[in-house]
Amino acid sequence: MRRTILAGIVLVTGLVVLLDLLIVNPSLGDAAGAVNELLVLLAAAAAVGGGATLVAHHARNLAAGDGDSIGSVVLLLGMAAVLVAGLRPGSSGSADPAVLWLIAALLAPIAASLFALLFIFVLGAIRRGFVLRVRETSLMAAAAAVVIVLLLPLGGQAGDWLAAGAGWVRDVPLAGVFRGLLIGIGILVAVGAARSLLALDRDDD
Amino acid sequence: MPNLGELAAYLVGLVTGAIGASSMRLGAASTVATLVVLLALLSLIARPGARWTAADLGGLSRVGRVMALAAESGADATVSLGSAGIGRAASAIDRFQTLAALPLLGHVADAAARAGVPLRVTTNDAVAALFARATLAGAHQRTATPERASAAAVEYVGEGRPAAAAFALATAQPHGVAMVAGSLGEEAMLLLDGVLGDAEWSLAATASASQTAGPLLSGDGTLTGPELFQAAGDLGPAGHARTAVLAANQLIWAAVGILLAGSLITWAGGPQVAAFLTGR
Repeated sequence: MRRTILAGIVLVTGLVVLLDLLIVNPSLGDAAGAVNELLVLLAAAAAVGGGATLVAHHARNLAAGDGDSIGSVVLLLGMAAVLVAGLRPGSSGSADPAVLWLIAALLAPIAASLFALLFIFVLGAIRRGFVLRVRETSLMAAAAAVVIVLLLPLGGQAGDWLAAGAGWVRDVPLAGVFRGLLIGIGILVAVGAARSLLALDRDDD
Repeated sequence: MPNLGELAAYLVGLVTGAIGASSMRLGAASTVATLVVLLALLSLIARPGARWTAADLGGLSRVGRVMALAAESGADATVSLGSAGIGRAASAIDRFQTLAALPLLGHVADAAARAGVPLRVTTNDAVAALFARATLAGAHQRTATPERASAAAVEYVGEGRPAAAAFALATAQPHGVAMVAGSLGEEAMLLLDGVLGDAEWSLAATASASQTAGPLLSGDGTLTGPELFQAAGDLGPAGHARTAVLAANQLIWAAVGILLAGSLITWAGGPQVAAFLTGR
């Protein structure tokens, strides 16, 4: 019975959102809007719960002397800084200049420096790939080498040929592979979503 | 007293009024095409026994054996649910990959519960953490190993794709079994290297087309593109409905708590917590 009720709720809400996508109707729009508002509320509640769990986990680590104490302290201080900036009296919340400064001056550079490590990690991954499966990795490395050669910053006739070759690689084989992948993904997403929506998957335990 | 004819006229008027107040958002051809595709798809998959069976995708059949080896060597298992989450601001396909990863997590959790291997699941989305927790609970219920449930944990690592990658790199260590399943972005290599690292056996799975190379280079077993969804379907996600119910129950209680606390804070003259949380 519980499964039937759940499947019914999922089916009705899914159909409301789908119909709102296809049909412009004020009542339908209001219903779909209410469902979306509920989702925002649920996500916000889960985010608060997750944040509280994170704080509790690292506070427990600090109290017990387990794990990375410095990391736990930095994380708790960081969370406290953002919360104080966003919730202090007179603050304008997530759009407060102090919150925006913390994001622009601290979080964005940290994330950028993290992503700067990608080049090194890609090389490491290629080395590991040669250990795991030589044939596929050789093919990928060869393709990457060809693309690097095509993108060399050369001028003159040779540069024009390389640029035209790079454009052809991007527009024909690469785009073809991507479209194939996306079509396959799209079909399986639709199948998976429909199976979930109709509760077709076996609940055998 | 209204008669049957008046009632019918009223209902017809209600329907025609609703139709008259509506218009097609995508135009007639696109709307009809969408509905036809949807109906064809549903008629195709709603047939009994319409399950895709395939080869051993991603080497998932080896999970039981490698988990037993991990138990013998005293190693642990770790799973990352990618970096898109379920409640985060990501595209629908990215978030659906996290849902598709849950059956894979259930498969690994079943093996870990049977073998008595500690399992840690990490995610950068609180909603996904709830789903993962319910999946682990379901695994211990299925395998009748409630005494081992305390060895399995779900860890929320904070918001954002960089947070997932940074946490993975900061806590990198050798594992017996390691799996990354779900959507990956530009941080893919960092996350894969941090989680899979020197694991005895690893599985990398994503349907993010632009990050296909990452799993191929990093995992012993790989699921790329549509294979992620196909493998999830092949496994037969037992307890799917119960997982959703358990997670939904936790979400509802959390929402009630937030509503009450937020109302009290606002009533006491404090800041608008709801507005801050939703960015308004």
